[in-house]
Amino acid sequence: MSEMKTIERSTVSNTIAGELAAILNREVTGISDSTSLFDELGLDSTTVLELLMRLEDTLMIEFDTDTLEQHHFETVGTLADYVIEQA
Amino acid sequence: MFLDRMKAALTGSPHTPLVFLGNFEVEDQWADGVNGLPRVSFSAGATIVNRMDEFGLLLAGPGDHVVLKEAPDEDYLTHLEELGVALPRVHTVARNDPARTVTLDALEDQKLLAELSGLVGAWIAPHGTSVLEERLAEAARLPLITPSAAVCKATNSKIYSRRAADGTGLRQATGWTVSDMNELEVALDGARVLLGKGGTVVVKDAFGVSGKGITVIAEQQKLDRLHAMIRRRAAKRGDDTLALVIEEWVAKVADLNYQFTVGHDGSAHFDFVKEAITEAGVHKGHRIPADLAAAQVAQLEDAAHRLAKVLHGDGFHGVTGVDAMVAPDNSLYPVVEINARHNMSTYQLTVQELLMAPGQIALARLYPLRLDGRLTYRTLRRRLAGLLLDAPGGSGLLVNNFATVNAGARDGTFDGRLYGLLIAEDRARLAALDTEIVRRLP
Repeated sequence: MSEMKTIERSTVSNTIAGELAAILNREVTGISDSTSLFDELGLDSTTVLELLMRLEDTLMIEFDTDTLEQHHFETVGTLADYVIEQA
Repeated sequence: MFLDRMKAALTGSPHTPLVFLGNFEVEDQWADGVNGLPRVSFSAGATIVNRMDEFGLLLAGPGDHVVLKEAPDEDYLTHLEELGVALPRVHTVARNDPARTVTLDALEDQKLLAELSGLVGAWIAPHGTSVLEERLAEAARLPLITPSAAVCKATNSKIYSRRAADGTGLRQATGWTVSDMNELEVALDGARVLLGKGGTVVVKDAFGVSGKGITVIAEQQKLDRLHAMIRRRAAKRGDDTLALVIEEWVAKVADLNYQFTVGHDGSAHFDFVKEAITEAGVHKGHRIPADLAAAQVAQLEDAAHRLAKVLHGDGFHGVTGVDAMVAPDNSLYPVVEINARHNMSTYQLTVQELLMAPGQIALARLYPLRLDGRLTYRTLRRRLAGLLLDAPGGSGLLVNNFATVNAGARDGTFDGRLYGLLIAEDRARLAALDTEIVRRLP
């Protein structure tokens, strides 16, 4: 696996917040690992792909999209875990 | 009446009893095994979508049947009866699994299947036909009003829409159909040219529905990123097939939805045109009638007849909805997408005919709800006192699906959807009613 394996979790969480703000076109503040991506941040099935593409670009990683599952998108924390696992 | 006309065109008699099956988002079945855009399916949304089955209740007539995942709220039924709605016979599945469509629940219910097979002369009228509805028809030993699942799947692909529009010479946005990786390369070359000129492109799943499986791309880098994602997946799966369309994102001032019914004999009847209200590609409602000039309606009627001929030639008969657009210069894009199945607007027709007086207008609405517990119809009726329709020809809201209100019920807060048809004599009254309803809803 690549050196990206050592990617900092805080970097991932901050990147997720930043990219979400860009996609949703509003400020995303006060989020934690337990913040729900759908209920609290308003992500939906139409914006998931956009988020993944932005994360690939910013973190310079590549997702295996066949491994995507619903539970990866429950909270900021579960998505961060998935990103680190894919890095 | 639409229902009688549809029955005559599809079953040979206006009196044929139909068994309505509201298997909404049948696209998920059609997309099974098809390589579209990378996507995740979210069951939280599916629990609500699966309860859209209750729309069938108001499309059906008194001699018809409807299969539902759960019995409707008794107070809701009472209100409908007060309005003079003659309801169909309701058959409820033994076990409602919220994550599954009504078809899958029904397939597991042997008693229900036996009951359906005893409905002499009845035909099954699904929202759209996939292999599951075929299986159900076989198990219930009843014919389907639609052609085979294979024909329905083929004619509902967005690739089919583009080819049908090409074949009939109907105007559409610049675009490409993509059936494999080679066609993707060609389409992306074209898309890059459009982006280079400052344009925007949209990439759509052939079987996307309700804003799912669609991505809008304005930058080259994002297009390359998507290309890489799809290429990687194809290499990993060892499968070069794809089912996408890539189109230029064109300016529009309104979305339209029109419907026609293609008879067994190839005859076509133009049923209506409505203005569709969408937000980020997700359907939010309809304005009835659409604000169009007579020449624009005539152009859509002509498109309907041309498309009906193509569909019939490809073995299709049945209810067909088409999405269209009005450009800023008032010209039309008469075919953006063909949905050769029932559409949201189809389900409003029977009550429109029954409850709207001549000259009245309507707004089909989806009110998103945030609930702390189950909301009964009795409570809703109290909350919306004075705002609900109380007689045919009156003004107010007719709830046309109450099941979606509590479909997502769980401990804590949950999202619900209230669907209704808001009827009034003019736009000002509609807007006033709408504002007050929003104010009173949770």
